Amino acid sequence: MRTAITYRAILFAWGVAAFGADTILLGKLPKGKVVMVMQPHHDDHTTDYGMGGLIARFVDEGYEAYYVRASNDEKDGSHGYARNDMINLRESEEATRILGMKKVISLNWRNDYMGPIPLDELRAQLILLIRKYRPDVILGHNPWEHYQKNPDHRNVARAMAEAWWMAGYENVHPEHMKLGLKPHQASYLYLKARLDWGLGHTPNLAIELNESQVRRKQQAYQTHRNVYANPASARAVKSALARENLTVPEFEGLDDQAAAVRMEEWHMDWISRVRGKEAGVKYAEDYYFVDEFDHLPGLKAYLKENVRPK
Amino acid sequence: MIKRVRFAVAAGALLACAIDLAAAPPVVLVIAADASNFVLAAGGTIAKMAEAGSPVYVIRVTNDEKDSWGLTAEETALRSRAETEAAARALGVKEVIPLGYRAAELADVSFSGIRDRLIFYIRHYKPGVMFIPNPYTEYDRVLDRYYTGAAAEDAFRAAALENFQLAHADVELGPHLTPELYYYAQPVDPRRKEPESTATFVPQPRSVDIAGTLQKKIAAASALKTVNESTARRLKARLDATERRLSLLDAIDESSIRRLAEVHVRGLGTTEEFRYAGIEFRIPRKYR
Ligand SMILES: [Zn+2]
Repeated sequence: MRTAITYRAILFAWGVAAFGADTILLGKLPKGKVVMVMQPHHDDHTTDYGMGGLIARFVDEGYEAYYVRASNDEKDGSHGYARNDMINLRESEEATRILGMKKVISLNWRNDYMGPIPLDELRAQLILLIRKYRPDVILGHNPWEHYQKNPDHRNVARAMAEAWWMAGYENVHPEHMKLGLKPHQASYLYLKARLDWGLGHTPNLAIELNESQVRRKQQAYQTHRNVYANPASARAVKSALARENLTVPEFEGLDDQAAAVRMEEWHMDWISRVRGKEAGVKYAEDYYFVDEFDHLPGLKAYLKENVRPK
Repeated sequence: MIKRVRFAVAAGALLACAIDLAAAPPVVLVIAADASNFVLAAGGTIAKMAEAGSPVYVIRVTNDEKDSWGLTAEETALRSRAETEAAARALGVKEVIPLGYRAAELADVSFSGIRDRLIFYIRHYKPGVMFIPNPYTEYDRVLDRYYTGAAAEDAFRAAALENFQLAHADVELGPHLTPELYYYAQPVDPRRKEPESTATFVPQPRSVDIAGTLQKKIAAASALKTVNESTARRLKARLDATERRLSLLDAIDESSIRRLAEVHVRGLGTTEEFRYAGIEFRIPRKYR
């Protein structure tokens, strides 16, 4: 007898068991106009550990969104360095367009070689972009994440961790003022990292997503066909299940490519539900949120009490 | 067996050192990335040690040239130097030694270059206590503190090892092991109070009551006029841009800037929190 199972049910059951049921505070988005996402790679805007849904929500709430891709992604894919770079950039443009972002700015540092780069130089590029686009909010990897083995993630996060506020200081890269740019400091940071990589990233905020934001996140993710939604992954799942006499009814009538896309979409749906359950809503994403006055720990309580609307 | 005897000798030397320290207040060496961090995170404790008779030295790694309002980098650096000295005096510090690295540009400076300069001073002053920025602090956005802390932690280790900086032997700068180490940071890390683990060899949280030296800490923080003005004006600019106000900053002048600095210090409370590695940190539990 062949047993039909729901692939989603398996994923979901595993997720609930793996992540427990602690509730994280639900947050609103801050007021603002521009959000910049600063990441090393073409696909870091949407992964199982975040961002796609939040980006879609920022756009829904009226923000202009920009994506900074710091590396050239030459190692992602199997088409050779130069072609990988081009395919990944194109897919990144398409995926971020689905999320509602305006532009991908590619800095083209060599992929996976960002460990020994001059960090002040990368930071200067980010500062220049912050002064040009004047974001209120910046999204990126958590620079304090533990066990982050990828040097690109570590170093882009580190450059961002200083760029977001240093861009507001006149004595930092005064040459930018020659272009008529003015110092500008972003006020809020949303940091993400894998939640199963140790204590270096403990989220303090959950962001609720609606159905449509999750759909855009699913689509953005599977748009990166050079690295995700490979037909071989669907083939592998199908044949592994077949050995146990199992099938996935949702795969019926789908070729391997379509089945692989479906799997990636379930993956995004599943993780959004897991985070949602933790926050007491249907869908969510988790972040470490850095608030505007967190850098002044001795003044925070005073400001909360004494700052008034004008 | 031989290993055990050697270990006993080493532990004995450390304990002798501790007894010696109990007799005379130890030299205190504070490694600081910038002008404000050591004052805000450890100023009360440093003042307390100075009051108890310790000679205190501060090594300031960067020149703070970027943190000002309406001043050039050169002018900022010049003022910050004088103001750091005034702040240190208020805490009872004997001397501030500037290393002069450009602020906010440590990422691309040689790590061992900073470390080796710190080793020199550790061997010269032979401190009984060191304060270093905690490089493991999360969410401190000033990464100069991270780079300085990492170099200082290694300098603390390497200063005690004869094979580092061989030229020092010719000028009679011998290896020096500092018995007590305080890792300091302002309270930005939400998990700062959690013990790292139950292991003996991991520096553990330690709180120091600074109620008795709070006034000195306030005086020290108030002396940092350039960075205080920068903080006040940036805060006001942010509030103005978002249609908010803080009545204290309706007019920004010397007295409101000073008042904000005082509120800031008081807001940090009368306890300073550290990670602390003392003498027993070096002796495994089973030998104690
Ligand atoms: Zn990546």
